[in-house]
Amino acid sequence: MEGETKRENWIRDPKTGEPIPPRQQPGYYPGYSTLGQRAFWDAKTREVVEDRVYNIPPIRFFSDEELQIMTAVANRIIPQDDRLPEYRIPVVNAIDERLHKHEIDGYRFEDMPPDEEAYRLGLKAIDQTAHEIHGMAFADLDPLKQDFLLKTIHDGKKLAAHEIWDKLDVKRFWHMLVQDCVAAYYAHPWAWDEIGYGGPAYPRAYTRLEGGLPEPWEVDEQRYYWSAPLNSISDMYEPGDDPGTTSSQGGTH
Amino acid sequence: MKVPLLGPFRWAHDGKKILGPMQRISTEMRRYSEDDIVDFCIVGVGSAGGVLTQRLAKAGFKVVGLEAGPFWDTERDWVSDEKGSHKLYWNDLRITGGEDPLAFGENNSGKGVGGGSVHWAAFAPRFHPSDFRVYTEDGVGADWPISYYDLKPYYELLEREIPVAGPAYFPWGDPHGYPYGPHPVGGVGSLLVKGCTKLGIGVCAGGPVAILSGSHGNRPHCIYRGFCIQGCKVGAKQSTLISHVPEALEFGAEIRDRSMAFRVSMRNKERADGVFYYDEDGREHFQRAKVVIVSGYAIETPRLLLNSACPGHEKGLANSSGTLGRYLMAQAGNVILGRFAEPVRMYKAPPAHAMSEHFYETDPSRGFARGFAIQTVGPLPIAFAKQMMKAKGAWGWGMRRVMMDYNHWTALGLLGEILPWADNRVEIGEEKDAFGIPVAKVTFTLHENDKKLIEFGKKKVMDVLWAAGAEEVVQESRYAHLVGAARMGADPETSVTDLWGRTHDVANLFICDGSLFPTQGSANPGLTIQALAARTADYLISHAEQIFKSNERDMTPPPIRYHLAPKDTFSKGVPRVYA
Repeated sequence: MEGETKRENWIRDPKTGEPIPPRQQPGYYPGYSTLGQRAFWDAKTREVVEDRVYNIPPIRFFSDEELQIMTAVANRIIPQDDRLPEYRIPVVNAIDERLHKHEIDGYRFEDMPPDEEAYRLGLKAIDQTAHEIHGMAFADLDPLKQDFLLKTIHDGKKLAAHEIWDKLDVKRFWHMLVQDCVAAYYAHPWAWDEIGYGGPAYPRAYTRLEGGLPEPWEVDEQRYYWSAPLNSISDMYEPGDDPGTTSSQGGTH
Repeated sequence: MKVPLLGPFRWAHDGKKILGPMQRISTEMRRYSEDDIVDFCIVGVGSAGGVLTQRLAKAGFKVVGLEAGPFWDTERDWVSDEKGSHKLYWNDLRITGGEDPLAFGENNSGKGVGGGSVHWAAFAPRFHPSDFRVYTEDGVGADWPISYYDLKPYYELLEREIPVAGPAYFPWGDPHGYPYGPHPVGGVGSLLVKGCTKLGIGVCAGGPVAILSGSHGNRPHCIYRGFCIQGCKVGAKQSTLISHVPEALEFGAEIRDRSMAFRVSMRNKERADGVFYYDEDGREHFQRAKVVIVSGYAIETPRLLLNSACPGHEKGLANSSGTLGRYLMAQAGNVILGRFAEPVRMYKAPPAHAMSEHFYETDPSRGFARGFAIQTVGPLPIAFAKQMMKAKGAWGWGMRRVMMDYNHWTALGLLGEILPWADNRVEIGEEKDAFGIPVAKVTFTLHENDKKLIEFGKKKVMDVLWAAGAEEVVQESRYAHLVGAARMGADPETSVTDLWGRTHDVANLFICDGSLFPTQGSANPGLTIQALAARTADYLISHAEQIFKSNERDMTPPPIRYHLAPKDTFSKGVPRVYA
């Protein structure tokens, strides 16, 4: 996670166009802290969540070169320019740890290489595409160009680096990438605070089930309006064709 | 107030396994030696294996259960945390393919004592009478070799045994009521009721779920924390780990955890004589047994039997029909998500707490056979983010934005019947797992009827959310549950086992789990799996002496052994006793 963000990367007030400075805690639940409730959690949950926050795993899987690409990619898939540098969530370290420990979700698509190989190939393909199209490394591109390049992968298109992309399914790779990034980000209690999620509630319980009402220790929503920075195109939604199973499916029912 | 009155919650170190906050068991169980010829060796102590182990041990037999995963301690091993619950699932490699490849792992496969019942959402509807006669009534799929009424007494028993909370009157299929009262409704259930009611669609709230709405024996009631599929630390949601395994140990069963079976032994060709397995260090062992019961669920059961091919059984064990591994089914499990102006906070209450089976039965005017259910689901943040990636194509700032609205979204699940097709199957792949055992390769492709059903069903669920007042409705395609792949049937040419789960080919080899299902309805399979296990146990107990010694098959139905139900089933304080 690099340091101070340039003003052009800040989110903006949609009415005035003024940049909104980074904060400790973005989102609509100011002052809400799940970690502040940890004394009410069971001991094992407290241990696991505290470990996630305070013991950030070192980089062991990605090479220096891959780490540079991966960091740049993760900064676009889960941009954190609205967070103060010391309150950004370490996404890449969590992905590195998964790959280092060969943790998989219990299956592999028959048209995909193992996850570790898919990451090495996919990152190489992203960087090679940047070199072929823009003549420079992906990490050195400005955020808008990075977004446009990633959008082609989101759309399942191969602009360049065909000999690498032929070894894996572009859409499946994209989905693995995004879901690994969100799994790392939204596993973090600071992200729970941002979205107003109650977090662990054993042995205490939730008691106000209906009507979206907060528990006494939760807080009410206080919405504000914001726009993505002008140098980004990721604040739009294009589901494309119904992709079926291209990715991990969280168990629901 | 920064800390609870009595200080932070901690556990005592008394050397016992904690199964929910009120139940502590000693796991210093009886240990059989590998030279002992036990009566029953059960492979997989999950939904079915847990019930079987308890019943057979309580009836006085020598039972060993081999479980690939660990013997959990719910307090020390489980967490109220999505990411931290990854270890509950069967995460070992499987290869998935076909035109509509299935996801495994957290989606449908458990590992550890309790198996999938540890992470099921615990919806516990019965199958409908029509589910057992799909071929006769609709000319598609297959008929079961048993009827609903063969299973009904076991449904009634298991509903009190595990037990199930739900409405006093459940109107679909064979109408019935539930022993424990319905749960209070959460935000998602409220909106399901609202949307269905506006559209004139029947709906029920508060169950049926195998989650306690009042305390039962040494299990406390639900606290509505929403972590059902991450393993219920509360002990309110049933898993066989907390409902059956303690009594299995009490009656002398041995559960050998971290023991990965890799071959059913057929050293005398005609009869199984035991199971080869690896311990956690990869050392090979052999447990001798008079009867082998495979309860590994719809992927691992066919995998084990296919990997057990041997002279005389070249196509795999119990596969003279060629149907082993075939007719694998998953249910359409599309998640339909709606955004509402007011907050919902869908993480509160069990994900499973309201449903409709209004569209369950075949309606010829729809243009396809069979139907679907609509159910509440309550994805936690990581699962919801993945759904937004698929349903909205969200990433970047768009992902951050929609996630900030997490509390405004609600999620409903379609549960649609996909028919059994011979080409949807489990085979053995080229690759091997960490033990060197060949992995399963699964092929799954939707057929015409399935596609029509999903299209109709997902539109209907979207209509429900619009009717409930959603401002935006999106959906993600996915699949839920796994059954079939070792189906029971009357004809040995087209099925793997008879109506008791006894393989047609080997008289002392049984299968007991979801892989037996010839069709699946649009009910969650958990209750039916456990009911079948109790029924198989009664058969085994009645005919044990013959099964141990001869290849004769006595098909006489056994009496139902109510007294073998776990001790709290009929105890004082169990409400709504009606049987």
